[in-house]
Amino acid sequence: MATDRAHIADEPPPFLGTWRRVYTGVLIYLACLIVVFYVFTRIFS
Amino acid sequence: MRPLDWLVLSGTLAAIVSYGLYKGRGSDTMNKYLLAGRTMPWYAMALSIMATQASAITFISTTGQAYVDGMRFVQFYFGMPIAMVILCATAVPLFHRANVYTAYEFLEKRFDAKTRALASVVFLIQRGLAVGLSLYAPAIVLAVIFGWPDRITTLVMGALITIYTVTGGIKAVTWTDVQQMIIILCGLVVAFIMIVHMLPRDVSFSDALYLAGATGKLNAVDLKFDLNNRYNLWSGLIGGCFLALSYFGCDQSQVQRYLTGKSIAQSKLSLLFTAMAKIPMQFLILFVGAMVFVFFLFERPPLLFQSVAMHELESPGLQARYAPIGAEFSQAFERRKQAVIALAEARRVHADGKRAALIGQYRAAQQEINAARAQGVKLYVSAGGEKAFNDTNYIFLSFVTRYLPAGIVGLLIAVIFAAAMSSSSGEVNSLATVTVIDVYKRHIRPAATDRHYLWVSRLATAFWASYAVFFAQYAKKLGSLIEAVNLLGSLFYGSLLGVFVLAFWFRRVSGTGAFIGMLVGEAAIFAAYWFTGISFLWYNVIGCVVVIVTGVVISSLWPADRVARPA
Repeated sequence: MATDRAHIADEPPPFLGTWRRVYTGVLIYLACLIVVFYVFTRIFS
Repeated sequence: MRPLDWLVLSGTLAAIVSYGLYKGRGSDTMNKYLLAGRTMPWYAMALSIMATQASAITFISTTGQAYVDGMRFVQFYFGMPIAMVILCATAVPLFHRANVYTAYEFLEKRFDAKTRALASVVFLIQRGLAVGLSLYAPAIVLAVIFGWPDRITTLVMGALITIYTVTGGIKAVTWTDVQQMIIILCGLVVAFIMIVHMLPRDVSFSDALYLAGATGKLNAVDLKFDLNNRYNLWSGLIGGCFLALSYFGCDQSQVQRYLTGKSIAQSKLSLLFTAMAKIPMQFLILFVGAMVFVFFLFERPPLLFQSVAMHELESPGLQARYAPIGAEFSQAFERRKQAVIALAEARRVHADGKRAALIGQYRAAQQEINAARAQGVKLYVSAGGEKAFNDTNYIFLSFVTRYLPAGIVGLLIAVIFAAAMSSSSGEVNSLATVTVIDVYKRHIRPAATDRHYLWVSRLATAFWASYAVFFAQYAKKLGSLIEAVNLLGSLFYGSLLGVFVLAFWFRRVSGTGAFIGMLVGEAAIFAAYWFTGISFLWYNVIGCVVVIVTGVVISSLWPADRVARPA
């Protein structure tokens, strides 16, 4: 059913150079969202 | 529904089916039919993942939830980006390199046939119970709002998804999901603009934000840790992360989306994009619900949003008992309206000293409104209405149909259809894939031609689509069992996640350890459900941890069939 895919390479991401940096970026984005939502809650509560 | 609404709705549905048929051309091998020949770009997979996850009832119910309970539900999604990062670093490369069609196929490569079989059966039960509800839930809401027979609505939705899912396989499903997600997003933005536009002239957007906050609807983040509180930062981050790990890492309806990627990198990008887009999207849906609440601060809402219940209350038999409740409700509404008008004015002139007293007046009036609603529900139930009456799912559509102009109503009903169809088509497609790959090809006919498996895949897709429609036709007879069926899904994810965690990270764990671990994990989840009041988000954590501990212990005691982790 298929070609051998056991050794296919994990390409680098199209931005930020490495996947580790992309993952860090996503987690920083999450932290920023939580802070923004928290500030939003505090301002309007 | 006016003629323009029908035109928009039927035009949108025709466009979805035509596009699905067009994009699904050339699915003439099993690989192309079930995995799109692994040619999908990241943005198509990402939008497909989001569309499959966002069911119609999510769209209808989330806005209603914000109206009733505020925006704290958004915290439910905080764990998703963490889960996506973990999956990108582990599951995505492993699944791609293992060259599997299903997540459960990977379990046999790592453990043994019985673990794969158990996981497949768990998926088929869990997703098989949910698939009909994806069609039935919006149909019943549309039946109440418009009087459309729910059987016809489910039949139409089922027939439409069958046309493009059976012919075009996952390629058709993915590209129609993209189209459906764009329709959903457009509908959301239009709904938001319309609501803000329809606020009274002397109420600015800034006033609306202030009033939504003052009335407790903008409570997006709650830092207090409480195991019995369903939505707070910690249940969202920890419980939500485990739920997202289970859903995106172990549920074939999601795994299959990113297995179609051109490369590991494209699949990773699709999950990371989903992680980044999902929270703002949910925030927008909830924000629309909060703005609907602000709208109804100035416009008298119906006592009950479910029109059938309201007609019952206003019927000659109940009219005499309903009249004083309705009058009380109207008076409380007027008091609440005066309080919020004064509150907005106090904010504008910076009369901070008055605000506390005005918020007190608002709360007192709101309590009277809640009491009148409770009396209305009691009266409706006493007259033979549904015992577990809840009109949250009718709030948003009630607003849409009463106040929005022709064309926009059609667009928003098209959004409901698109959301229902995108979820159902993804579920049908994944159920067919597991049926063919993990059951038929593995246990019944292991060595047939590719053409044979292609046709069996088409038949399996047609079977599951018909099953979904059939199940939806009889869902009404299940009554309150529907809630149990919905809960049933969340009872299985934790143990599925546990067995995949063992597969990815615990090299010494054996097939027998994983299998027994899964059974014990399931028992632990059911024990938590029956004997504790713990919120369901924590079931995934409990199940996963119990599977891991049991798997490790059993494998240490009986290490005979230990196997190596695949490359």
